[in-house]
Amino acid sequence: MPKKYETPLLDELEKGPFPSFVTEIKKAAARSDMAADELGQLEKSYRDKRGYWKHGGIVGVRGYGSGVIGRYSSLADQFPDVANFHTVRINCTSGFFYTSKFLKEMCDIWDKYGSGLTNLHGSTGDLVLLGTNTENLEPIFAEFSSRGWDLGGSGSALRTPSCCVGPARCEWSNIDTLGITYSVTQEFQDEMHRPAFPYKFKIKTAGCAVDCIASIARADLSIIGTWKGKIAVDQGEVANYAKKGMKIQEEIVNKCPSKCMSYDGKELKIDDDNCVRCMHCIAKMTKALKPTGEKGATILMGSKAPFVIGATLSWVIVPFMKLEEPYDELKDLIRKMWEFWDEHGKNRERIGELVIRKGMREFLEFIGIDPVPQQVKEPRRDPFFFWTEADLQK
Amino acid sequence: MEKAEVAQKIYELVEKSTGKKKLKSSDIQKTISADLNITRDDVKAALKDLVDEGKLIYTYFGGSFVEIPPK
Amino acid sequence: MAAPQRRTDIGPPHFKEFLPPVIQKNYGDWKHHEVLSGGVMVHTANSGDKLWSVRVASPRLLSTDTIRDYAAMAEKYCGGYIRFTTRNNVEFLVSDEKNLEPLQKELNSKKYMMGGIGPRISNIVHTQGWIHCHSAASDASGIVKVLMDEFADYFTTKETPNKVRLAVACCVNMCGAVHCSDIAVVAIHRKVPTIDHDKVKNMCEIPSTIAACPTGAISPEPSKKSVKINADKCMYCGNCFTVCPPIEIHDPEYDGVAIVVGGKVGNLRSNPKFSKLAIPFIKNNPPRWPEVTAAVKKILDAYIAGAEKHERVGEWIERIGWEKFFKITGLPFTFQHIDDFVVARETFRTAATFKW
Ligand code: HEM
Ligand code: HEM
Ligand code: HEM
Ligand code: HEM
Ligand code: SF4
Ligand code: SF4
Ligand code: SF4
Ligand code: SF4
Repeated sequence: MPKKYETPLLDELEKGPFPSFVTEIKKAAARSDMAADELGQLEKSYRDKRGYWKHGGIVGVRGYGSGVIGRYSSLADQFPDVANFHTVRINCTSGFFYTSKFLKEMCDIWDKYGSGLTNLHGSTGDLVLLGTNTENLEPIFAEFSSRGWDLGGSGSALRTPSCCVGPARCEWSNIDTLGITYSVTQEFQDEMHRPAFPYKFKIKTAGCAVDCIASIARADLSIIGTWKGKIAVDQGEVANYAKKGMKIQEEIVNKCPSKCMSYDGKELKIDDDNCVRCMHCIAKMTKALKPTGEKGATILMGSKAPFVIGATLSWVIVPFMKLEEPYDELKDLIRKMWEFWDEHGKNRERIGELVIRKGMREFLEFIGIDPVPQQVKEPRRDPFFFWTEADLQK
Repeated sequence: MEKAEVAQKIYELVEKSTGKKKLKSSDIQKTISADLNITRDDVKAALKDLVDEGKLIYTYFGGSFVEIPPK
Repeated sequence: MAAPQRRTDIGPPHFKEFLPPVIQKNYGDWKHHEVLSGGVMVHTANSGDKLWSVRVASPRLLSTDTIRDYAAMAEKYCGGYIRFTTRNNVEFLVSDEKNLEPLQKELNSKKYMMGGIGPRISNIVHTQGWIHCHSAASDASGIVKVLMDEFADYFTTKETPNKVRLAVACCVNMCGAVHCSDIAVVAIHRKVPTIDHDKVKNMCEIPSTIAACPTGAISPEPSKKSVKINADKCMYCGNCFTVCPPIEIHDPEYDGVAIVVGGKVGNLRSNPKFSKLAIPFIKNNPPRWPEVTAAVKKILDAYIAGAEKHERVGEWIERIGWEKFFKITGLPFTFQHIDDFVVARETFRTAATFKW
């Protein structure tokens, strides 16, 4: 019979319509002492208004420096079954698709070796198994890897790449987001599992500028699908949207950022040459509008959290890259970026911070990319710039 | 140079640095490849063996390092 | 029983194994989709095949019991196929229309919440908090739960001018894209950590502790064989605690949350934007943080009342102006609102045009 704690504060969070995480912990706690102690310690956190976890950096599976997050309770005397309560990151599938067969196997393994608690998914994209002790790490790894599953990234390594649902179920995807993610993940297994970078590196791939995976906000390398060509307009479907009550002038034309659309009550016209491919009109009139022509992606880099230089969104380095199997051009670019980072980066310096410190010029020259206006919002504002000997000879 | 010798050099480097400065995998690769005039891939391969054998481990303290496992 | 043979560097299995047949057949060949209700949409392929997706909220933190229940329903109605969304929702992938009604019926009877599709509030992206993280200044799961209870109708049925993306991060590391959300709650520490010098001496490596501080606030204190912290430089990030637990960052009295608004990641209409500070501090008040729910509701109500159709929170605020935003919401404007970090001067008003 597992332990039981009184949890008057957490019980308050079982009320209300939204599914309750407290109920989830209680379900697991009915079977697992680890989950029971998690519940007990959490109630204490709610009472004391503070966390009671300590970071621990020395656990993992043999040979890897990634995939396990060490976590220890600072109240091990009171809650001995969470004295160690490590997280295991299992590399998700591209697009987060699963079968019931796999989910049940995962549950069986996790009930045997862990707390029975999970995060589907962690913010990194991994299947997160929440809470086990050090001895169980090897058996868990053996169970998963023998079934074809591997650990995800953590630490100063390539993190588990992730992507939007893309061509699997979205009519707007310009690239095979799932295929790219799978291919890149397989290509760079060593970089995921044996941390050798100055800091973390995240790759996130979105099929279009809607960016359902938030790649522009949280990836060192953001891949965003786009196209070169016209938006095909089905005027019949436009008329249907109008008939169903859509105010096309107000909702679509006026909201176009480049003011490149017009509508005379009958025909919707797009000046494709001035369209910036923001996706607004397409997303609102999916039956009427379709991008055509060459498909590929814009490659951006550098988003990261506020430390130390302030938050950045990713910025454009390659305005357009064709992305077709085996994605060699992309992989070569990634390798070049890592080479630059390895050469100049300081410990815990994200690649975006490094490029800002060193200047875009040095970075672009290193990776072999020419300057183009698409890389900037506007040119520099001051006349204080450098000239190399080579520039002077031009 | 034999892989085992490279591994020995790596181990000595990490040992010497313990308690002073935590070394990253890339620090080790840069130092050893320069010292022994071998490629970084050679260093990586020897380091991988050491970690697979459990003689060295990866640790995480706000960044990943290579260290000797605690007794 | 011996453990099975471990394998290394195999990566995840190929995703094709997990795609329902209708997706395998129509991969990359979808024509359009329609939102049928808050929780159901249907995608139509060029071949004419259809796929219904039924979206259900999850608390992200799931027990194996609930996952088994998802799996059982997927088997019953979806040939075993199921997926998860970036925002921690569950999607049942229905290929046979006649399974749609029975699935929804079962979901309803088990009190699962269907919704999150279309111009609504979807599930809240969030982090670990007191459940599992060492640096948490508040609990993410609890705040998510109370916000989603409050706004449940906006998840299931009621519409907002455009999607509203909420996020909760339990410390300024913000493991979760909070900085580009329509409305986000970020937990913050507000005091320089305290140092237990005797323990530091025995437990911590001084050089790595110094190196851990992103702002260079930590320096040696040789007389105590410990370290000291320069209060003027410390940003309360807690990295030092991560490396050296005797440096204590938690402070129940002073820890709490800030609320930031107006961010977005999509490129639609206007460029991606960072969230900006609306409320610098609200005290932790578990288990239900009523002041946080009230504050988010105030901002959400103002947005719903004021925004044009398709405007996101940030687009609405930029159209009316931040000074107007503070006026409409009645939120006090403080010194904390004026940036003094790296992009400060870009945020100062360099024009004589503004609203009263
Ligand atoms: C020094 C700084 C940081 C430290 C020490 C740190 C530490 C951690 C730890 C220990 C976890 C695991 C939490 C758990 O599962 O128990 C974690 C998760 C995570 N971290 Fe960080 N982190 C840092 C900075 C960042 C930054 C700057 C970002 C991004 C902006 C970030 C993104 C993430 C993400 C996405 C997760 C997964 C969270 C989840 O699934 O809920 N981290 N971090
Ligand atoms: C004030 C509220 C803010 C919140 C809630 C917030 C939240 C977040 C979140 C959730 C992420 C996601 C990271 C991931 O999933 O990997 C993130 C990343 C990031 N944020 Fe913020 N942010 C805020 C403010 C800022 C500010 C003011 C800056 C910079 C001045 C900033 C810079 C960044 C950067 C650079 C990243 C990079 C993500 C990464 O390292 O992967 N954020 N932020
Ligand atoms: C770095 C390069 C710049 C140089 C060398 C420069 C030089 C000058 C000079 C020589 C004058 C004439 C002063 C006079 O009539 O006595 C002037 C005037 C002015 N500059 Fe600049 N300037 C520079 C950048 C800028 C920038 C970036 C701005 C604004 C953003 C600016 C705004 C003005 C204005 C408003 C005037 C007054 C114009 C007028 O009296 O009609 N300047 N500048
Ligand atoms: C820190 C750097 C600089 C400062 C403080 C500076 C300041 C000034 C000032 C105060 C004037 C106005 C003189 C007047 O009123 O008669 C001026 C004029 C001028 N500056 Fe600069 N300047 C700087 C850099 C430059 C640079 C880099 C350039 C060229 C690349 C430049 C080109 C000029 C020119 C062409 C004028 C004369 C404009 C005219 O006579 O109408 N300045 N500068
Ligand atoms: S990012 Fe674009 S392609 Fe990907 S799922 Fe979203 S809308 Fe579709
Ligand atoms: S995609 Fe965006 S920029 Fe292009 S026509 Fe449509 S609304 Fe305008
Ligand atoms: S946001 Fe901070 S407290 Fe929350 S999981 Fe990430 S590092 Fe931990
Ligand atoms: S809390 Fe952060 S900024 Fe302050 S001393 Fe510690 S590491 Fe440095």
